[in-house]
Amino acid sequence: MYRADTIAAVATPPGEGGVAMVRLSGPDAKRIGREILVRKDADWESHRLYHGRVRDPGSGAVVDEVMFAFLREPRSYTGEDTVEIHCHGGPYVVRQVLGLALARGGRHAEPGEFTKRAYLNGRVDLAQAEAVLDLIRSRTDKAAGIALGQMEGGLSQEVQDLREQLVDTLVQVEAAIDFPEEEIELLQRDALGAKVAEVVERVSTLADSYEWGRLIREGVRVCIVGRPNVGKSSLLNALLGVDRAIVTSTPGTTRDFIEETVNLKGLPVVLWDTAGIRDETEGVEQIGIDVTLKRLAESQGCMLVLDGSAPLATGDMDVMERVRGMAGLVVFNKSDLEQRIDRSTVSGRLPDLRQVGVSALTGEGLDALKGSLRDCFLDSAEEPEIVVTNVRHKAALDRARAALVEVHRAIEQGLPPDIVAVDLQEARDSLEEIIGTVTNEDILDRIFSQFCIGK
Amino acid sequence: MFHVKQSDRGAGRVYDVIVVGAGHAGIEAALAAARMGFDTLMLTLNLDHIGQMSCNPAIGGIGKGHLVKEIDALGGEMARAIDQTGIQFRVLNTKKGPAVRASRAQADKALYRQRMKRVVERCENLTLKQASVEGLACRGGEVVGVETEMGEVFEGKKTILTTGTFLQGLIHVGDRNYSAGRAGDFAAQGLSKSLSELGLRLGRLKTGTCPRLHADSIDYSKLDVQYGDEHPVPFSFGTERIEQKQIPCHITYTNPTTHDVIRGAIHRSPMYSGVIQSRGPRYCPSIEDKVVRFAEKQRHQIFLEPEGYETVEVYPNGISTSLPLDIQVEMVHSIQGLENAEIMRPGYAIEYDYVEPTQLKPSLETKAIGGLYLAGQINGTTGYEEAAGQGLMAAINACLSLRGEDPLILSRDQAYIGVLIDDLVTKGTDGEPYRMFTSRAEYRLLLREDNADLRLSEVGFRIGLATPAAHDRTVRKQQQIAEWTRKLETIRVNPSPTVQAQLEALRTAPIRNITPLAQLLRRPELTFVDLQAFCPDVTEVPSDVAQQVEVSIKYSGYVDRQTQGLKRFQKMENVALPEDLDYGTIDGLSGEIKEKLTRVRPRSLGQAYRISGVTPAAISVLSLYLYNLKAG
Repeated sequence: MYRADTIAAVATPPGEGGVAMVRLSGPDAKRIGREILVRKDADWESHRLYHGRVRDPGSGAVVDEVMFAFLREPRSYTGEDTVEIHCHGGPYVVRQVLGLALARGGRHAEPGEFTKRAYLNGRVDLAQAEAVLDLIRSRTDKAAGIALGQMEGGLSQEVQDLREQLVDTLVQVEAAIDFPEEEIELLQRDALGAKVAEVVERVSTLADSYEWGRLIREGVRVCIVGRPNVGKSSLLNALLGVDRAIVTSTPGTTRDFIEETVNLKGLPVVLWDTAGIRDETEGVEQIGIDVTLKRLAESQGCMLVLDGSAPLATGDMDVMERVRGMAGLVVFNKSDLEQRIDRSTVSGRLPDLRQVGVSALTGEGLDALKGSLRDCFLDSAEEPEIVVTNVRHKAALDRARAALVEVHRAIEQGLPPDIVAVDLQEARDSLEEIIGTVTNEDILDRIFSQFCIGK
Repeated sequence: MFHVKQSDRGAGRVYDVIVVGAGHAGIEAALAAARMGFDTLMLTLNLDHIGQMSCNPAIGGIGKGHLVKEIDALGGEMARAIDQTGIQFRVLNTKKGPAVRASRAQADKALYRQRMKRVVERCENLTLKQASVEGLACRGGEVVGVETEMGEVFEGKKTILTTGTFLQGLIHVGDRNYSAGRAGDFAAQGLSKSLSELGLRLGRLKTGTCPRLHADSIDYSKLDVQYGDEHPVPFSFGTERIEQKQIPCHITYTNPTTHDVIRGAIHRSPMYSGVIQSRGPRYCPSIEDKVVRFAEKQRHQIFLEPEGYETVEVYPNGISTSLPLDIQVEMVHSIQGLENAEIMRPGYAIEYDYVEPTQLKPSLETKAIGGLYLAGQINGTTGYEEAAGQGLMAAINACLSLRGEDPLILSRDQAYIGVLIDDLVTKGTDGEPYRMFTSRAEYRLLLREDNADLRLSEVGFRIGLATPAAHDRTVRKQQQIAEWTRKLETIRVNPSPTVQAQLEALRTAPIRNITPLAQLLRRPELTFVDLQAFCPDVTEVPSDVAQQVEVSIKYSGYVDRQTQGLKRFQKMENVALPEDLDYGTIDGLSGEIKEKLTRVRPRSLGQAYRISGVTPAAISVLSLYLYNLKAG
């Protein structure tokens, strides 16, 4: 539960670094800071960077030489009094500084608690608070960019704007209901329908961006499959740019599986390098193949690797059967050698998979492969401006869309305004859920300011 | 606190309920208390002005008609009174949907007054006296009676104040002002002080009214006529039909000349010269407000409403004003049809004291003083109907308290009266007189005029206010509705040539399969009566039953959706907040929110959420706090 006590935590990532930051937030932040920081000034100005020392008030031992700042409420991230101590980044030093803060009355912050306080103190809205957590968890620059956009209010702004449109429409409808004798020039049915249709369109765009955003954030799992010794592990290493998998010329070297993530222009792709599939195997290698089949079932796409320098083998046919119907690519490896494979047979069997040639050895065709793989999941042409990444937002947008479709239908059918208002309100409420600011803002206030009402 | 003295008229008698005021709130309060079997005293400044319509001569309107029907269902008087004295009935918003259809009637003011006086005078358990109440007598935080200007003391277990605009009323016409409760009546001077001394916070509001014109000086030949409905529909569920003669209203408009006159004299209006500080209602603006705020409008509509059959006074609805008298004359004469109109009474603005209603419990009892209830304009509302609804509820709750029972709190999904009182005690008035609108209700489709009896008769009957006859009528209606709803699902029509021809005659699409009548009724273009082509019996269904069946079938999807929303709403309503909760000790709430919660003391999390300025984050903090409280 949220208590207005003072919390402290290390704000920088764990591990060794040049500088680390310990943050204190709450009513006692300054008191604790003054007890452990040595600096001659009578008082600290807010938002000014000071140089000082951290000293254990008990033993008098100096722990570190630091830069620090005091941020007076409400002008801080949490909206509370905050002290930020930039100390040296060694784990020992950081632990010491945090330990002193906790010993003087701070409580170790729970995960996300600084952001929670920022929300509770009205510094950020719900969508922005959720974005902070996404930002922390994001795996690629692209995902971070989306989260940052949302945190800075990109999504909130759009939703706010759509909500405004709905409130405007409601004002028209409600004015027509409550003030029928006034000579109010009301929106005509066609205009009303057109306005609602426009909002439906924008709500849909937002809702549909979720799938895109989910891919960017969570990535896709792609299984690298093929009969033994076609170069699956070489391909993985080439994609990663490091030697991760053991590569030998002995077929069946990879018996377990290897998982690695590559970043394809923002799309995190989890690659599963698997044991080669062939029928006449036994023992350990057979277990490896069972794992492969299981992984294949769990993945969202595949890269079927074939040896372009050899004619199609029975083993290749078997693997082709396994991946039929999946998304992904057919990779003809060993393009540096003379090509002897019959590509048309492959496209006959797997018409939906795009084919690329590559040499894992020389790196030839690797960039094209990356592009093609990304395109299997993301159409780069349709990158949405604002991306919804949170399942709660998506659900609210879906509800708003469904309600608005009803509104539109009701208007088309000529149903009366009190009926139209039901779903219009539902849509507005759904949008307000996203930003978490359900203001009981009076529709009436707007009516009075827009129309000359009353006898 | 002062010593309770013996007096001549009240000697030794302790009333159960004392009602101060005999306006629309006072009448409902006094009648309800007496009818619930309690010894009731009604005190008024002037016995001739019981049930006076101080402003326009009409009852009902959008949102307000809803209130009147609810008052009727609970066992109140207003609907029956207007049914007997109305001179023009209209149903408004007939094309705006079932939920917002609303009744309105012009009243013969004098007949309305006389009828109300007669009912009050002859009501059993009710004593009526003329007196000016100047103070309250309290003992141990409880009100025990009232003291009058003459020094009389009346003792009572419960007191209901319904003083309207009379508390330190001050009338303004131009730069002149004088003390009055309304034009022609004395103001109540001492009561405000007594309330302040008891710890209640008072504020000041402003409202206004139109000049009254002489009918014979109006040139009706130049004006549009507005007749009432051909078949006037009564307000009360117990009234069979309206029999009395119906008369028309007329419509005219202001014009640019009128607006020039007003603009030229705007500095002489007390609203603009700074003499009146308090804000008037935005939905009932003075004509000078309209001209200033909506300068681009070329004209404003005026309804000329007759004040009765016998009187020549006409109420020009739409030109409420506090401009000086000479300007009122010039302004009126600039209007078409009113060129020679004679002003019989001037328009005026009035300022008066009110008690900020967040100081009330949802029972309308003050939090500060036990046994003291407030109803009507003293709570910052405007409108006869809003006042009547509160008067009724205050009396019901005073009586339930005397019986040792829990108060009757109508919820927001049960009645407009519930919305009204919840808004008042939760949000207060925000410096503007409060008027009902349908857009204030979240569950509008459930709160229709036509189902007020189905919603509330049972409640009224259970507390002993609605009559057994009214209750039986509602039960019968419910049975018929159920029966016909079932019937329409079971009676089916075949896609035969005859049926298709009948459908074509009704201008609706042919059917492909065997279709229940209910299915046909869902088509927007078909009505219940249209079904007679397929089932002749429907002509015998009473129209109120037919209406219920039609609405419930036609709009079932929408009603269901509102009911779904209602369930979410009730979840928060059902999370009770302890009455003695010390908000000051809850960490995480801002000082401002703590102060608001402490002042309102909401009963539930839902109510807390409706307080303006209480944020979703604050609600999270509160619910977490409650959770931990329960978890120990």
